Amino acid sequence: MNLLETFKLALRNIAASKMRTFLTMLGIIIGVMAVIVIVGLGNGMETYMRDSFASLGTNSLSVVIMGRGSTRSVSVDEMYEIVDENPDCLQYLSPSVTLSPSVHIGTKNYTATTKTGVSEDFFAMKGYEIAQGRGLQYMDIADRKNVCVVGNYVNQMYFANQAVGQTLRIGSLKLTIVGVMEQQADDMEEGGTDDCVYLPYSTAAQFARMGSITNYTVTVTSEEQAAEGKKVLTDALYGIFHDEDAYLVVSMAEMLDILTSVIGIVITVLAIIAGISLLVGGIGIMNIMLVSVTERTREIGIRKALGAKESVILRQFVLEAATTSALGGALGIILGYALCRVATVVVSALTDAALTVVPAPASVLMAVGISVGIGILFGYLPAKKAARLNPIDALRYE
Amino acid sequence: MSALIEFRDVCKYYVMGDTTVKAADHINLKIEKGEFVAIVGQSGSGKSTCMNIIGCLDVPTSGEYYLDGQNVGQMHKDQLAEIRNRMLGFIFQQYNLLPKLDLLENVEVPLMYAGVSRTERRQRATEALERVGLGDKLRHKPTELSGGQQQRVSIARALVGKPFVILADEPTGALDSRTGREVLAMLQQLHKEGNTIVLITHDNSIAAQAERIIRLEDGRVVYDGDAHAPEATVHPKEGGAV
Repeated sequence: MNLLETFKLALRNIAASKMRTFLTMLGIIIGVMAVIVIVGLGNGMETYMRDSFASLGTNSLSVVIMGRGSTRSVSVDEMYEIVDENPDCLQYLSPSVTLSPSVHIGTKNYTATTKTGVSEDFFAMKGYEIAQGRGLQYMDIADRKNVCVVGNYVNQMYFANQAVGQTLRIGSLKLTIVGVMEQQADDMEEGGTDDCVYLPYSTAAQFARMGSITNYTVTVTSEEQAAEGKKVLTDALYGIFHDEDAYLVVSMAEMLDILTSVIGIVITVLAIIAGISLLVGGIGIMNIMLVSVTERTREIGIRKALGAKESVILRQFVLEAATTSALGGALGIILGYALCRVATVVVSALTDAALTVVPAPASVLMAVGISVGIGILFGYLPAKKAARLNPIDALRYE
Repeated sequence: MSALIEFRDVCKYYVMGDTTVKAADHINLKIEKGEFVAIVGQSGSGKSTCMNIIGCLDVPTSGEYYLDGQNVGQMHKDQLAEIRNRMLGFIFQQYNLLPKLDLLENVEVPLMYAGVSRTERRQRATEALERVGLGDKLRHKPTELSGGQQQRVSIARALVGKPFVILADEPTGALDSRTGREVLAMLQQLHKEGNTIVLITHDNSIAAQAERIIRLEDGRVVYDGDAHAPEATVHPKEGGAV
């Protein structure tokens, strides 16, 4: 009796009691489905975060100067010096001055638009292209000119694609629009990446009556230099303040790594919990196989009397258990994929984040492996019991 | 030439609590190829034990059992399974057909374990079923048949592997007397065709269908000879009283 015939026999026995087989498989189905969805969710979260961080720039460092009392601060020129002295790891610098008054265009008021004072290097740092007009230039900064560059959302929605040359106001500050950025996001929305106004940081700082600038963004020459760049900046700032609490340097790449590993841990824990249901499913299979062996004692006796060896009976029952759980695994995968799609829609609707739940091939493979493995593992004990039955007793069994 | 079946001082003891039951007590017997032998005895006489040992379903506690010259008494379970498959054909009182399989598949089972190819299996099983007069019911399930028909399926299943010995354990026990006679006639026919048949029964009138009777009592052979001799049909009580 070859393996194919044994397999066909297993399929027949499974088909003979569909309801029971389905209920037996349920544990495996749910387990596999849960593992796939959870790992898929984790993947989605990680991808989403990577994308979000990529738009912030994983090659950038964020510097916040708290200062030490009012006695000592750091000037923009000093910051530029630090960057210039370390060309092998640090590349661009841009102060960042966020303004809070809302944007006025004509008689209308827009609160969602972000307004940031930056340097002429800011657009190169972010990889932003200018679609119309020009970007900010050194002279704009040096002369504290009242000019600005707007995002495409502002251009399209508030100026009907005719923004260059027009004016807008931030609070009482009147600015002339000199350029429009290339559209960044696929879908522009209010408050999004494209709903923005960038002006010279010097203009912004003066308007905000800010004595010294506290926020900077520094880019490193490459992502691998992020750690080195952070160290150089930290050392230089310590040299100025001699106080570790006076400044803060945050590497985006580092933050991404930390967040990724946190998500990884959370997903692993959830997947293990989901995996427990696989174990419970396996025990369910063992239970039903034990019942099946008892029910089929007479059949086993007949088969043994007719010449079935122990190994053949063992194989028959193990294969039956493995087939049951593999079938459960397959159903779990199908449902898992379906649920991933549902989860994508639900999560996107609930959180506004364009998060895609992607099933990981590795997790699918693992789920299949585990479900077949569980079938064999938990099918073995009942199968062994069946194979060991004494044919005389088995034949007499009523 | 040695006998097809030979028991040399075969004993089978069962320990039940403090007492030892001697189900087979130094049994010596020989059955030649082509014989039709009935092993007769009341329940508890040891005939079932004897049949289990002949059928390689059980092994003796002591003594030797030679089947076609091989000492099968001390073989491993898997070897015994192979012997059962190749050399023995079973006919049971309760037919013991597999209810989920159709007739053809039921008859194919021994061939499947023997590793016979699918097409040959199908062909041989069909032939065997035709021989017992069920060639028109190949795809029926056993439960759709009468008792006599089911027993004929089990005869077909016993025959299909071309065994050395056909072992019939109370083959008419579950049948009415008319179908019982039909089954016995079929066994007679198989015997005429040269098959060795060992019939186990408690019923003297059925045993009389054989040409030789071996009578067992309390695990011992009390008669072994011509089925039609007057001593062969001795009432068991009288025989045991001596």
